[in-house]
Amino acid sequence: MNGVVVAEVVRRSVTSIGYGAFVALLAIVSLGVSRFNQPGAAWPALVTLLAFIIGCSSIGPEFSSGTLQLILTKPVNRSVYLLSRVAGAVCAVWIATLVAFSMEIIGRALWSGGGGLELVLAALIHSMADTILICALLAFFGSFTRAYFNIAIYFLLMIGLSVSQAVLGVVRASRGWIGEWLRTHDGIDRMIVTVSQNLFPDAPRLLDWKWLLMVLSNAAIALVLACFIFRNREVPYGAD
Amino acid sequence: MTGVRARALKKSFGFHQVLKGIDLDVAPGEVVGLIGPNGAGKTTLMSCLLAFLHADEGEITIDGRANDDLRIRRRTGFVPERMNFDRRATGYSFLRYMTRLAGVAHAETDTRVNAMLERLGIAGAAQKRLSQYSRGMLQRIGMCQALIHEPDFIFLDEPTSGLDPNGVLLVRDLVNEQKQRGAAVLLNSHQLAEVEKVCDRVLFLSGGVITRDETLRHRDRIIIAITLLPNSFDAAEVTRIAGNAPKGNTIIVAVETEAEIAELVRELAASGAGVIDVRRHMADLEGIFRGEA
Repeated sequence: MNGVVVAEVVRRSVTSIGYGAFVALLAIVSLGVSRFNQPGAAWPALVTLLAFIIGCSSIGPEFSSGTLQLILTKPVNRSVYLLSRVAGAVCAVWIATLVAFSMEIIGRALWSGGGGLELVLAALIHSMADTILICALLAFFGSFTRAYFNIAIYFLLMIGLSVSQAVLGVVRASRGWIGEWLRTHDGIDRMIVTVSQNLFPDAPRLLDWKWLLMVLSNAAIALVLACFIFRNREVPYGAD
Repeated sequence: MTGVRARALKKSFGFHQVLKGIDLDVAPGEVVGLIGPNGAGKTTLMSCLLAFLHADEGEITIDGRANDDLRIRRRTGFVPERMNFDRRATGYSFLRYMTRLAGVAHAETDTRVNAMLERLGIAGAAQKRLSQYSRGMLQRIGMCQALIHEPDFIFLDEPTSGLDPNGVLLVRDLVNEQKQRGAAVLLNSHQLAEVEKVCDRVLFLSGGVITRDETLRHRDRIIIAITLLPNSFDAAEVTRIAGNAPKGNTIIVAVETEAEIAELVRELAASGAGVIDVRRHMADLEGIFRGEA
């Protein structure tokens, strides 16, 4: 990990007006809904959105803008650079997550005597792990694409898997031979569900160490693959 | 230090072979210009040397090591034709980041950044965002980030593009300073007059091969052109004295000292040749470019 890169990514994120506005919104939402909502239920979705916004700028966009070429002439290992970019993005999102968490804790202390702390804490830990997975996946998709195709692939995959599950469900329920075949061979269905749960897991309400392990393992696999691809990727610049 | 060395370099994109066996050397303390028409493969060659692209065949070494070795990167500076970076960053913070990435110690960073901004004449704009910089200012900050860590191997891609005359003169001075420091400099440029002024040697790249390697200046020798009065000399006698046959009325000779020039002129005059002009020889890059391109 390169501390200079991590610090730069965090600096660049947190000093933007958009980030400030988002964190302010996050704080207001967390504080406001803590009065009536389920503990730790409102802000994790916003944190996920922030993870998309910050995480999608890794590698692919830098490749297209030509920034990467400048960085690659410096004495920084490509894999270290990629990991540091992801770490910086994760840190920037975590800062916002901690703000949201703190505001909900404050709100609950003010309005409901501090109840639901366990659920809020679980939401914090799950949200932090989910941020790592999102940023890792976006870096992985960015390692072999240009511009913001990483986020496009992410959503296409997410939508594609959901649509596949729905279509398979409809076909399975049909009377034809395909429906019959699918009813007796549920491997395809299970595979799609497994892939979907691994790439886009829904966080449980209570702290779940197995879920955390799965998320972090998948993030690690995505990062290893991203490093491998990025290390061997050609980074042309300009045109003759 | 052995400089930049490429041997039998080949690179294709699909079925299109861009580099067809390039041999290149840039010695320490030497400034080599890379010129050629659009599509000749200059940027591809530069990209291969900087390890942005992987050569299909051939070998690239910088100071005897692989070009992607981090120890080499620490000693490499690169100025891209167009500076692209986070436009929200200020010139100062951008340069600070680049300096830290280049491996300069934290304690030295601010001193170096301030000195470099001052040297490049953009200290007044240090706190402005890069989005507010003109093309010339971006080019200057590009030079700053490339030279701030005093690299031994410098790759410049159109460093004077977008610069005003003061900027061009500044870049020329900077390149000369790097040369004096002993850095190996490879300059990719379309501005022949600029190449002529700063380069010791020029490589003409055309169709993926180096078609000509022209020495403009020699580190230990002075190259002079002596023009003789037409019909006043015997070509064989002049060849014997100068060691080079005259081309038309001109002889190109490499000498080591100015005293040698005087001695040569005296001998030529003694042989009956009318010496009408003696000057440092500059290759006619424009003429050569027209011929090669």
